[in-house]
Amino acid sequence: MSRIFILTPLIVLLIICIFSLVYLLSGKDPNKPPSALLNKDVPIFESSSLYNARDIIKTKDIKNKKTLINFFASWCSPCKIEHPLFFEIRKKYPELYLLGFNHKDPTSDAKKYLKDDGNPYDFVGVDSDGLIALEFGVFGLPETYLINEDGKIIYKFMGPITMDILKNEIEPLL
Amino acid sequence: MSSLIGFLSLVFAIGINFYLFLSRYIFKFQKQNFNLFIRLSSLLTLLSFFSLMYAYVVSDFSNYNVFQNSHSNKPLIYKISGTWGNHEGSMLLWLCILSIFSFFFSFTKNIEDNFQKLTLIIQAFLHILFGLFIVFTSNPFLVNSILVNEGLGLNPILQDPGLAVHPPILYAGYVGYSIVFSIAIAGLFQNTDDEWIYVAKKWSLISWTFLTGGIALGSYWAYYELGWGGWWFWDPVENISLMPWIAGLALVHSLMMVRGEQAIKKWIVFLSILCFSLSVFGTFLVRSGILTSVHSFAADASRGIFILLIFFIVTGFGFLVFLLKEPKKSNALNLLFINKVSALVINNILMIIATLTILLGTIYPIIIEVLYNKRISVGGPYFNSTVIPIMIPGFLLMSIAPILSWQTNKINNSKKYVLAFIILSVLVILQSYFLDFNTWGFVGLLLGFWIILASIIAVFSSYKIKINIKFFKIINPHVAHIGVGIAIIGITCSSVFQNELDFNLNEGDKFNVNGKTVLFEKIETTNEINFQSLRGKFLFDIEKNQSREIEAGKNYYPVSKMITSEAGILHLWNKDIYFILGDQKNNEWFVKVLINPFVSLIWLGVIIMMYSGLIAVSRR
Repeated sequence: MSRIFILTPLIVLLIICIFSLVYLLSGKDPNKPPSALLNKDVPIFESSSLYNARDIIKTKDIKNKKTLINFFASWCSPCKIEHPLFFEIRKKYPELYLLGFNHKDPTSDAKKYLKDDGNPYDFVGVDSDGLIALEFGVFGLPETYLINEDGKIIYKFMGPITMDILKNEIEPLL
Repeated sequence: MSSLIGFLSLVFAIGINFYLFLSRYIFKFQKQNFNLFIRLSSLLTLLSFFSLMYAYVVSDFSNYNVFQNSHSNKPLIYKISGTWGNHEGSMLLWLCILSIFSFFFSFTKNIEDNFQKLTLIIQAFLHILFGLFIVFTSNPFLVNSILVNEGLGLNPILQDPGLAVHPPILYAGYVGYSIVFSIAIAGLFQNTDDEWIYVAKKWSLISWTFLTGGIALGSYWAYYELGWGGWWFWDPVENISLMPWIAGLALVHSLMMVRGEQAIKKWIVFLSILCFSLSVFGTFLVRSGILTSVHSFAADASRGIFILLIFFIVTGFGFLVFLLKEPKKSNALNLLFINKVSALVINNILMIIATLTILLGTIYPIIIEVLYNKRISVGGPYFNSTVIPIMIPGFLLMSIAPILSWQTNKINNSKKYVLAFIILSVLVILQSYFLDFNTWGFVGLLLGFWIILASIIAVFSSYKIKINIKFFKIINPHVAHIGVGIAIIGITCSSVFQNELDFNLNEGDKFNVNGKTVLFEKIETTNEINFQSLRGKFLFDIEKNQSREIEAGKNYYPVSKMITSEAGILHLWNKDIYFILGDQKNNEWFVKVLINPFVSLIWLGVIIMMYSGLIAVSRR
């Protein structure tokens, strides 16, 4: 009789561990914050080109074309990791408009970064004070947004995109 | 550089513990050297922790962890507290406290050498497990692959002085139970005399006192920072800390039975294992990101699985040893209708039921999500309607338990108690009849006052009053119970008799709170470095010359798109007046005022409990 009592904790332990393990392996992520902007219009922005201050891009300039917006900075190491993937995207989807926002970066650093690692973007907008990122609700760099032809945000990804994410999550939307 | 030193000393400390662990089977060496090695590994772990702290203080952004969680403009205190304001650093703090406990335990005298050695070997085993966890999944010493000159900053909600000290104190409580666990397991292996129970008692009291302080700090922070007007929300993270607290309370009380020479060894061992298991389980739930809260920093399945494995090994090992090396039969319990032993047994049973009830409510959402793929949450109503009724008989019993006899059913001066209880009941009935009647309010007040009154009667009628340290040690159990009584009154008043007033106001309006006129002076907005603040200014009691100013409002953190509410609290001696500024509609501001009577009694009660925890440590 008393043996059963002593066995109980072990049985309870086993049950708790099995459930927790199944939960962990199921890949549920209660921390993934849903974006408030998903399926909403792109925030209104205006930004000048990194290479020519008189070259301005505005929200209405990306109407009627699918656009991939990427926030990056030269000081952001994960950005460096995802950087080569944008060349892949470029090659595979030439019609997709690639818009990069350079976030809180000195111009010279940003230029050097894009010179060393290459520039995959159609347009590099300057967001030196981080106000555009604020409008988009950027949480941390890098962050990537996909905008459809109607100017609605249809996808958002926080952190560096990877080949898997590109294949499984972004490409189906393109 | 500091990262390198930190990492190397962390690895060396783990290596030493590995060596010590093996020393039980091979490379045996002398006690003196053994203790030296334990202390060396503790110092190395400390060095590792301080090098991380150093990296934070000097804002060394070549450390990836510092870069992710710090910013050079932060005040020094938040740079220091940033060390444990993230997953990796907090795990290092965990390990650090574990080794501090081993360090102090290695100085314990009056216990058998072999026993001490075995305890420390189990500690070394725990050190290895958690050390490997840090090295492989949560290394705080990773080097930033590129050069940066600024960090990403600390979550604004964590930038608070209360929260800076809350984690170390709470961890000291959690991790302190590791020593109790190791002592119990060593006791099972050695099966010698019962001397170890006295050692275990001291350490479990220390851990319990720290845990009490840690929980109280967290709860006080929730009260003034979250701005919901309450101080306990049955949030999963709160429950996780409450479970080892209650189990620890049961343990402390069980250990007292030793004095009546009725050591229920089996039960004590079970509780010792349970306390630490619950601590590790709590660490698992919070660190794996299974629960969402301000405490979960980053979800990463591999970390979760690793900690789950540690939890499984530690708890499984503990209970398996318990199963195989069952303690030898102890004396039969001298259970009478009402004596100290039966009171303590009932109290233990109630506490364990309460712990299990909380455990069920906490893990129920996980079970449901796995089985039905639905997300539910279990909150206040469940816990209030289950845990509180379970505890009530225990509260009734605790008022007189310390003066019960070990051997007989007799209660000295029983007439006094009966008389006092009747008078008190009449008074409380009158109070609730003439003021507002509420069943829970009635029960809570009666219980709280009864515990205080009975403890005071017991002190005056059972002991000679002397003012010296020895006397305070003798009456310590009563003092602890008075603390509980005070806290119960505070809890009852602030929850049951809380008063809520809602207003729609324009700037310059006057309104009435509790018979005092309050002026809603103006709204002010200012831009701070990393947030915008909106403040409503109120003047309380304007008819007097010394009217008091209260500011309530909110902060908007644009980077994280987060709005935090900043309640304005006016502390009066008998109540807190709690102002919350709501939204603006049709040019009117929604203002909520909560009157929380006697909240401060809760904190007072907790302080008394902690005080008597400390006194009990020094008492043998």
